[in-house]
Amino acid sequence: MKFRIYKALARGVLLETIRRKDLWVVAILGFLIMVAAGGLGLYGMQGLESFAKDLAVSVLGLFTTILAVMNSSRLLPEEIKQRTLYPLLARPISRMDLLIGKYLGAVLATWIAFAILSITTALALVIFGVHFELIMVQYLFAKMLGLAVLCAVTLSFSLYLTPAAAATLSFILAFGSTMIIRALVLANDGASPATAWLFKGINAFIPQYGLFDFGGRVANIGWAPVPLWVLGSLVVYAAVYSAASLAVAWVGFRKKAI
Amino acid sequence: MPRVIKAENLSVRYRTKKGTWNEAVRGLSFEVEQGEVVGFLGPNGAGKSSTLKALMGFVEPSGGSCEVVGLPAGSLEAKSKTGYLPEVAMYYPFLTPLETLTLYGELQGLYGQSLRVEAEHLLELVGLTAAQRKQNRTLSKGMLQRVGIAQALLGSPELLVLDEVTSGLDPVGRRELRTLLKERQKHGCTLFFSSHELSEVEMLCDRILVIDKGVLVEERQMEELKNDLKQYAITYSGGASMIGLSEEWSEVEPGIFQAKFRSKKGLMAGIERVNESNAKVLDLIAEEGSLEDYFVQAISGRAA
Repeated sequence: MKFRIYKALARGVLLETIRRKDLWVVAILGFLIMVAAGGLGLYGMQGLESFAKDLAVSVLGLFTTILAVMNSSRLLPEEIKQRTLYPLLARPISRMDLLIGKYLGAVLATWIAFAILSITTALALVIFGVHFELIMVQYLFAKMLGLAVLCAVTLSFSLYLTPAAAATLSFILAFGSTMIIRALVLANDGASPATAWLFKGINAFIPQYGLFDFGGRVANIGWAPVPLWVLGSLVVYAAVYSAASLAVAWVGFRKKAI
Repeated sequence: MPRVIKAENLSVRYRTKKGTWNEAVRGLSFEVEQGEVVGFLGPNGAGKSSTLKALMGFVEPSGGSCEVVGLPAGSLEAKSKTGYLPEVAMYYPFLTPLETLTLYGELQGLYGQSLRVEAEHLLELVGLTAAQRKQNRTLSKGMLQRVGIAQALLGSPELLVLDEVTSGLDPVGRRELRTLLKERQKHGCTLFFSSHELSEVEMLCDRILVIDKGVLVEERQMEELKNDLKQYAITYSGGASMIGLSEEWSEVEPGIFQAKFRSKKGLMAGIERVNESNAKVLDLIAEEGSLEDYFVQAISGRAA
C-alpha cells in the first residue's frame, strides 16, 4: 500500500517536471555539450583526454546540482502556496508518506536529468576520442547517491526557510562543503579540546558531498577504480544522511498549519 | 441516526506574522447526522474554512475536539471515508483531469481498471469528458471546480466536506451540481458545506449553521426557517381592526389597509375578521422570505 502511495506521488512529481520542460532544458544543454565537443574534436583536440573528462564531470556536476536544488527547494513550498496540498492531504495518507513520495519524485526527476546529461556527455566524449574506464561508472553511481542526499537536505531546508533561502543554503553546501570541511580540519589543529569537539561536531553535521565526487579520479587517466567497500560505505552514508534530513523535514512539516 | 460530525468546544488559532495569535474559531460545538445536508454559513473571515480544515486534520485544534465518521478528525481512517473540496480549486497545472483523478484515486487506495472506470465516470458526471485529457492549466475556473468536485467524490465517501462548493460555477453547473449532490444524499452520503450562495443553501440544505467571528450564532432546520420567513399580507377596504392579529398593520391609501401575518393561521384569522366587519378583501399575497435577509439580520444583529 505504501509503495503505491510513493509511486503515485513520485509519478506526479516526475510528470510535472517533464511537462514543465525542466528536463528539456537539460536535454538541450546536453545537446550543446555534444555539439561543442564534436566541434573541438573536428579541430584535432583529441589528445586532451584529461581536459575533456574534467570538463565533462564539471558540467555534469554543475547542471544536475542546480536542477536538484531548484526542483527540491520549491516542491513543498509551492504545494503549500498553490494549495495543491489540500486534496493530497485529504486522502488517507500521512504527512510522512507525502514527504517521502515527494522526495522520491524529486530524486527520480534529478536522476533522469543526470542520466540524460550523462548519455549526451558520454557521446560527446566518444566524439572527443576518450577511452572509458570503470571509475567513470563508479563516478556516475556515487554522483547519483550524492544527488539523493542533496535532494533530501534541500527539501528539509525548504520547510524551515523560504524557497530562495533554502536554495541558496543548499548551493553553498553543495559547492562549498569540501572547502568548509577542509577549513574546519585546518582550524582543528592547535584548537582547545572544547573547540576541537565543536569543529568535529560541525564536520559530522555538514553533508560530505565531496565523498560522492570522483571527478578528480575520472579526470586523471589510468586511475584504479575504488574498492567496493568504499561504494558500500557511500550507500550507507547516503541512506543515513538522507533519512536524517527527511526526519528533520518531517519535524517541521508534521504540525505545520497549511 | 449515527453522528457523522461532532465538534465540541472546537477552537482554532493561528500565529500572525507579528507573533500574536488570531482566534479563528472559538469554542464551536455542533453535530451533523448521517444523511443530512448541512450548510455552514458566515461572512468572510468568520472561521468557516478553519473549521473545515480542523475537520480534515489540516490544522490542529488549539482547544476542544472534533470527530468525523466516529473517528478522530484527520485520522487516516476518517480521511478514507471523507471527500473534501478545498475553498480554492487548485490542481497540478501540468496534469490532465484524468491524471489528477488517477493520482488522488491511487492515494485513496483505488487502482487499476476500476480506478480508471470510476475516474472517467466521475469526469462524465461533472461534464468534463471532453476536457479529460487537457492539462489543468488550460481549464477555466469553473472547469477546475468541476475537477475538484470529481476528486471529492472519488471512492464514494460517506461524508462530503465542501468549501465554497459553487464557487466559479455557472447557473447550469450549479443546477447539475445540486442534482449530483442530492443523488449522493439519496445514497446515504452526508454533506457539510460552506457557501456564500444562499439560494443554493436554501435549495440543498436540511439545516444551516451560521458562524460569525468564530462563534456559532444560529442553528436552524431549513423547513422551519422557511416557514418562519414566510409572510402573508391582505389588503382590504373597510374598517376592520387587526389589532392583536397582525404583526404589521397600516393604512396604505385612505380607507385601504394592509395587514401582514407571519403564519397561515394568522392570515386565516385576519380574513375572518375582515368578513365579520363587512370589509372587502382586495388582495392576498403570500411571500417566501429571503434567506439573505435572515442571514444579514443574524450577522448584523450580532454585530449591533
